[in-house]
Amino acid sequence: MTGLVKAEVRKLFTTRLWWIMLLVMLVLIGVNLTFITAFAGVTNEASGGAAIPGRETAEWVQTAWSAGAGGSIFVMILGVVMITSEYRYQTVTGTFLTTPRRGRVIGAKLITGALAGLLFALVALVLVAAVVIPATLLSGGELSLSESRIPQVSLGILVSTSLYGLFGIGLGALVRNQIAGIVGAVVWAYVIESIFTAIPVLHPVGKWLPGGAAQALMSIDVDTGLGRPEWLPAWGGALVLIAYGLLFAVVASATTVRRDIT
Amino acid sequence: MTAIEIRDLAKSFGSVKAVDGVSFTVEAGSVTGYLGPNGAGKTTTLRCLLGLVTPDSGEALVDGRRYVTLPQPVTEVGAVLEATSFHPGRTALDHLRILCAAAGLPDERAGESLAMVGLADVGDKRVGGFSLGMRQRLALSSALLGRPKIFILDEPANGLDPAGIEWLRGFLRHLAHDQGAAVLVSSHVLAEVEQTVDNVVIIARGRLVRQGSLAELTTNGDSAVRVRASDTATLGPALEAAGAKVERVEDGLLRVRGLDASAVGQIALDQRVVLTEVTQERSDLQKVFLELTGER
Repeated sequence: MTGLVKAEVRKLFTTRLWWIMLLVMLVLIGVNLTFITAFAGVTNEASGGAAIPGRETAEWVQTAWSAGAGGSIFVMILGVVMITSEYRYQTVTGTFLTTPRRGRVIGAKLITGALAGLLFALVALVLVAAVVIPATLLSGGELSLSESRIPQVSLGILVSTSLYGLFGIGLGALVRNQIAGIVGAVVWAYVIESIFTAIPVLHPVGKWLPGGAAQALMSIDVDTGLGRPEWLPAWGGALVLIAYGLLFAVVASATTVRRDIT
Repeated sequence: MTAIEIRDLAKSFGSVKAVDGVSFTVEAGSVTGYLGPNGAGKTTTLRCLLGLVTPDSGEALVDGRRYVTLPQPVTEVGAVLEATSFHPGRTALDHLRILCAAAGLPDERAGESLAMVGLADVGDKRVGGFSLGMRQRLALSSALLGRPKIFILDEPANGLDPAGIEWLRGFLRHLAHDQGAAVLVSSHVLAEVEQTVDNVVIIARGRLVRQGSLAELTTNGDSAVRVRASDTATLGPALEAAGAKVERVEDGLLRVRGLDASAVGQIALDQRVVLTEVTQERSDLQKVFLELTGER
C-alpha cells in the first residue's frame, strides 16, 4: 500500500495542476483576507452595526482565521482530476495493469487526496496566520487562543479540507468525465452549498451538507447579517463529514472495481 | 507450462458479440501473431486476458492463472495496449517511476527500461511532445520494467516508421528466441508481423478462423512446384509416371503437384532434362489472410 500511495503522490506532483490550484487558492484566500481586514469594524449605516467586527476583537480573529477554509474547493477539484485524468488520458489502463486489485488503487488515491488536502490546509493556515496575527496585534488586540478559538478553527480547516479531497475522488469516480466533474464540484461548493448555508431558512438542510458540517466543526459563531446560523455541534459536524467521506469512498470503489476498461 | 491460454472466451458489448468462443495458446520462446481486421475482437481478447474487461464466459489465463490474481503482475507479464495512454504533461521518466512505485520496483528500472528502447536521451521531456513512434517505444519500455517472461502487445507497430518497425521485429524476436519469452502481438497489418511471428492466430468478427504455424498457413496442402525445363515433353510424362499431377501452364512451364522440388530435380536428372527454374509455390499470406477473414 505504501508503494501505491507513493505512486499516487508522484502522479499528483509530476504534473502542473497541483501548484496552479495551490496558487489560485492562495490568491483567493488573500483577496478574502484583504476584504475582511479592510472592512473590519466599518459601520453599516442601514443596520447601525459593523458587519465585520473590529480587528482588535477575538471575533475578528475567528472570522479572519476561518478564511483558511477557502482551500476546500481546490482540493476537491484536485481529487476530481486525480480520478478523471486517468480516464481522460487512459493512464487508468497502465494503473490497473500494474495493480489489478482496483480497490487498492482507490484506497491509495483516497489517502493521497486526504494528504493533499492536509498540505493545502497547512499552506492556507500559514498565510492566514501571517496576515491575521500582525493585523490584530497592530490594531491593539490581544491574541487569545481560547477566545478566538484558533486551535479549533484550525483543526476544523485541516479535517474538512482533507475530506474534500475524498469528496472530489468520489465525484470523479462517479462521473469520470473531467469537465463534468470539475463543473459539478464548483457548482456544488459555490452554488448549492452557498445557498443552503447562507440562507437561514435553509439551514435545517444546509447543516447536514458537507459545507455546513465543516462550519459546525470550526464552530464559527459570527452573525453574517442574515441571522445567526444554527449548526450542528462540533462533534456532530465531524461525524457528518466522516460519513460523507466514507460514502464517497464507497461510491468511488463501487463504481470502479468491476467496470470494464475499454 | 503454457504461457498464455485462452479457452472458449466470449464477451459481448450490448448486442455486439466482440469475442465469440475464441480458444488458443501461446508457448514460451515463440512469437504469436494475433491477426484480424479492425474490429475483429483482438483488443477485447487481450483486455480480457489482462483483467481490464470481465469476460461473459470462458477463461483467459497467464501461466495458468487469471491476471488479476497475480501477486506481482508486472514481473510476469509486460503489456502494451495503446500508445496514447500517457499524461501529456508528465515526463517519460516520471511516467515510468510512477509505475515502479506502484509495482514495488526500484526506481533505477525506469532509466534502464527507457535505455532499452532507445529513449534514454528524452527521459526528462514531457510526453506531450513525443511522436507516436516515441510513445510506442515508451509504452514498450513500461512493459519491460519488471523483466517479465510474457509479453502481450496490442498493435505495437502502429505509428512506427519503417526503421522503427524493423527495430521492433528484431526486439520481439530477441525477447522470444534469445530470452525465451512468450510474445503475443496483435496486428491488422499482416506485413508488419509476417517476418516476425512463428505462429499465427487469425480472428474475424469475434471468431477464430485459423491457428497454426506461419509455415503451415503459407504452404497450403495442395502446394505446387513451378518447373521450367528445356524439354517439358520428356519431363512431363516422367513426372506423371512418378505419381505427380502435371499441368502445362505454357510452353516450357509446368505446374507439378504431388512431388516436392528435390524429387522433381532428381527425375529431371534421370531424364537428362535441363531445369531452368524450380520454385516451390507459397500461397501469398496476404491472400490467405483476406480469404480467411472474408475481406475480399
